[in-house]
Amino acid sequence: MRSLVCVAILLLVGLGAKAQGGRGRGQAGPPPGPVLRLPDGKPDIQGIWDSKTFAPAYDIEDHPEQFGIPGGKGVIIDPTDGKIPYQPWADKRRKELLEHHMFEDPEAHCTLAGVPRQMYAPFGFQIFQPPGYIVIFFEAFHAFRIIPMDGRPHAPEQVKMFSGDSRGHWEGDTLVVDVTNQNDKTWFDMAGNFHSDEIHVIERLTPLNSNTIRYEATIEDPKVYTRPWKIQFEFGKNTQPGYQLMEFACVEGERDLQHYVESEGGPKK
Amino acid sequence: MKALYCLWGRLPACGRLLIGLNRGLATRRRFATWPILAALIMTAAYSQSTYKAPRTPDGKPDLQGIWQTRNTAAAALETHGASGGIAAGLGVVVDPPGGKIPYKPEAAQQRKKNFESRETADPLGKCFLPGVPRANYLPFPFQIFQTPKYVLMAYEYAHSTRTIPLDGSPHLDKIDFWMGDSRGRWEGETLVVDVVDLHDETWFDLSGDFHSDELKLVERYTRTGPETLQYEVTIEDPKVFTKPWKISMPLYLHTEKNAQLYEYECHIYLEEAARKRK
Repeated sequence: MRSLVCVAILLLVGLGAKAQGGRGRGQAGPPPGPVLRLPDGKPDIQGIWDSKTFAPAYDIEDHPEQFGIPGGKGVIIDPTDGKIPYQPWADKRRKELLEHHMFEDPEAHCTLAGVPRQMYAPFGFQIFQPPGYIVIFFEAFHAFRIIPMDGRPHAPEQVKMFSGDSRGHWEGDTLVVDVTNQNDKTWFDMAGNFHSDEIHVIERLTPLNSNTIRYEATIEDPKVYTRPWKIQFEFGKNTQPGYQLMEFACVEGERDLQHYVESEGGPKK
Repeated sequence: MKALYCLWGRLPACGRLLIGLNRGLATRRRFATWPILAALIMTAAYSQSTYKAPRTPDGKPDLQGIWQTRNTAAAALETHGASGGIAAGLGVVVDPPGGKIPYKPEAAQQRKKNFESRETADPLGKCFLPGVPRANYLPFPFQIFQTPKYVLMAYEYAHSTRTIPLDGSPHLDKIDFWMGDSRGRWEGETLVVDVVDLHDETWFDLSGDFHSDELKLVERYTRTGPETLQYEVTIEDPKVFTKPWKISMPLYLHTEKNAQLYEYECHIYLEEAARKRK
């Protein structure tokens, strides 16, 4: 638990610093106008965005406050009890991970967070719309997502990736992204919520106005859950003039793994 | 660790892996005996190219696509003979004319030390971000995207990224980055990118060629044909070099159907190897 708290404190410090830096999260600057448009009439969702909630970065389900971790509301809207519909074996494994294997949290090892975890990570991300693509660069872990919009097939099944393989299309004003080919090495949060390499995520990004995007993701994984489930939250645009994403180095300065205790799966002292 | 060395062609047995990683682009050339003059002639020919690139919707030269070198610059920028697992290669240093990096005497000593300890001292051996320009000639593809306000570079190796604003905004002042701070502009057919704010912890290649935190780069990207992009960099660092010098090389477009970037999560493979050893 100690190291979970460590990571949580880091996260808090990071978020605090960002907040002090005048990070708008959609609240600063001019009031939102209508959804912006590109010359081809599609929504223009380019800009720097943040999740409006970082609670799921700690735990995607509702969770009480603990030392170092603020209590928070989960983002699961289906099922209505807000809980991941784990199969019985998976529910057991999740508890085991939470209690004894925090060392295995992929983010502690500087891996890419995967989808959807990357979408509610702190530090913001920038969306670009070059011809034929949606491209997202994240500050955290300098992750990126390249989303072809030309209807091409997914990467071959045997190619598994941390960020998976994304294909997008517009349904009216909603950007629908189909994500496959994820490996089984990423989690949803710091609370041991997990999936297998059969995870399939369908994301729906709907701009509500110039400064707000509603994000919804349906998550399927017949190996781990009894039924598909759904999360929903909003992104706010960062309207601070001149704001830019900075570089995030992780592997390059990693000094934390040594602090995990043995009972969490950490190195033997 | 062994696998990682394979990557950079350090072990004789790893040639196959190296070729595999080059994704069919590995037309490995053994031009060790070619005179440097050939490089100069080629460069001159490229710079006189009259090829006009296709245009983006806003009328700029279109550099978009997945690009990769076919050279051995990742092993050494200077012309080098073959060694265990490393193909001989024509150097990419086109100025000064001798093809040698103009080190100051004390820096030349450091370079020699780096070369001797390269298997453990190369920052890339620890899977750190490769820096610029090294990211552009690693044996991995990278993809260029363009919008009216930005040029983006996304690298398969360690998912590095570069966001290059085109709006004339100034560099950030005295902040160190692994990948530097890039600002771009168009000069006719050429994208010119100024890169500063690079720190001193990256190398140019696995032979120990290095720089200080006073490194300044001017990159020039010019389409020279439907499937080629000439990449030229002027390198300046008064702490390490006696004068500015220049590298130049073609990048080749991936034309395979459905070509896309995959992932190479370098440090994960390193960690897995370490766990196995325990």
